[in-house]
Amino acid sequence: MSRLRHAWRVLYWLPSLVLLREVGVLKLVSGRSMQPILNPDESLLWRDVAIFDRISMHTHRPYRRGDIVALKSPSDAKYELVKRIIAIEGDIVQTLPRLVLAILQHRNLSFGSRYPDPEVCVPQGHVWVEGDAFHSQDSNSFGPVPLGLVDARLVCLIWPWWRFSKVPATPSIHPRVTPAPK
Amino acid sequence: MTGPSMLPTLANSGEMVVENRWSYRCTPGKLQRGDIITLYSPLDRTRIVCKRVIGLPGDVICVDPTGQYTPSTEHVVVPKGHIWIMGDNADYSRDSRSYGPVSMGLIRGYLYARIWPLKDLTIFRNPTTYLDY
Repeated sequence: MSRLRHAWRVLYWLPSLVLLREVGVLKLVSGRSMQPILNPDESLLWRDVAIFDRISMHTHRPYRRGDIVALKSPSDAKYELVKRIIAIEGDIVQTLPRLVLAILQHRNLSFGSRYPDPEVCVPQGHVWVEGDAFHSQDSNSFGPVPLGLVDARLVCLIWPWWRFSKVPATPSIHPRVTPAPK
Repeated sequence: MTGPSMLPTLANSGEMVVENRWSYRCTPGKLQRGDIITLYSPLDRTRIVCKRVIGLPGDVICVDPTGQYTPSTEHVVVPKGHIWIMGDNADYSRDSRSYGPVSMGLIRGYLYARIWPLKDLTIFRNPTTYLDY
């Protein structure tokens, strides 16, 4: 009898587990790389909590320029980064000047410039991600990221409540990006 | 499974295999050279490919010993958090030789066994032997 009850309990919680893991995920966002949208004030004790949508990953909805996504760090899959997609496949990106990267490297903020080229054409199945703030470990140091590493897309911010909002997607094209011809 | 890229080990088509996703998720550090893994294709996230691990982070790899893509003297160091993968059938395989080292975040799991056709039932073991010199 108790086994039946146990099975019933599992069945009861399964939909919510699936919902929490595969549909929308709550994630704690720490770090300064997406200022001012996320964590605008570094001195506060809490970190922002946001809802990320994983359905778009399972349904293979194409990502657009301007989407904020959570992705596994290419150099260490244990860590997740939250960045903005700047360019999609086929676009031509002008990378940050080498001097800037050298300064970042000097401050241990970046782990080497794999893409020293001034211009990169984002290869098939890859995206170019960057943080909104200046100091961020992003595609300028590790290059284009395969879409398989992109985990979820940010939908809205739920904590702190006074900034509760859908994050406005900015479809505007970044000044350093030349979009691919359609 | 379809595709000629793993040919001596896996047939071109008509085979069924079991994929072990738990052991990689639980112990990602146990990945070894010679393991057959499944991973999301770096070129297309909707496709899953199956390749053999050749190099782990920090290894020095000869990019293409056959000289087909690049001169066979070119060597690279596999960066941190990346692996070097190759298909067993080098002539018909698109792998790290063309797209470079792949991030370990793309790995799904190990290929555990072939269950169909029944007469070829195999559990894949790591065949690597290291030479001392």
